[in-house]
Amino acid sequence: MHDVNDVEKADRMGRKRSQLFFVLAIVFFAGQSLYFTSSPLTRDSHARVGAWLILVILILMLLATGGFLLRGRKVRDLLNDETSRVNRMASQALGFWVTIITSLVLYVESMFDPLTFNEGVHILVTLGVGAALISFAVRERRAHRIG
Amino acid sequence: MAEVLLNRLREERDTKGWTQAELAARVGVSRKTINTVENRVFTPSATLAIKLAQALEVSVEQLFWIER
Repeated sequence: MHDVNDVEKADRMGRKRSQLFFVLAIVFFAGQSLYFTSSPLTRDSHARVGAWLILVILILMLLATGGFLLRGRKVRDLLNDETSRVNRMASQALGFWVTIITSLVLYVESMFDPLTFNEGVHILVTLGVGAALISFAVRERRAHRIG
Repeated sequence: MAEVLLNRLREERDTKGWTQAELAARVGVSRKTINTVENRVFTPSATLAIKLAQALEVSVEQLFWIER
């Protein structure tokens, strides 16, 4: 049996997590829209690509673990219980489908307007990871609001 | 024909005089999970359904049933 205080703490942290993930998704998409609208000559700087790569890895780790930065195993287990795991799996599935559909669109589009390998990967990863992140944040926010 | 899983989790919890957080602590899940199961938003796994029934001292069939 868990402590009621742990349950309440996990509840508060779960709400914060969903808000944080939502803000992170907006920041991620905003940053990438700036990237794609900037000049192709300047956008592929090491700093920009490095920042994108670090953010993508951070988001992937957050999605894979549900919050690897959290301390306290009991609270972390409560935070990543059955509903959160189901929400995370559904979000990862959505990310997969977004990536596959985007791949098909890019495949057709590249016949008319060729794009580089790096551009293609950047678009696929951004949309796939971003969709999974925003989906998880929305599902968790909705679950917390019910009742 | 659509099947709906109904439950009387809230009623059984009220009978015990427990809050959602208290039931969640006994079962080892978050309050959000109890809340979403009570509101039929989330369908619990067989494991969770058994744990809920055991915590509330009722059978799984008394707690959950399918309506067609």
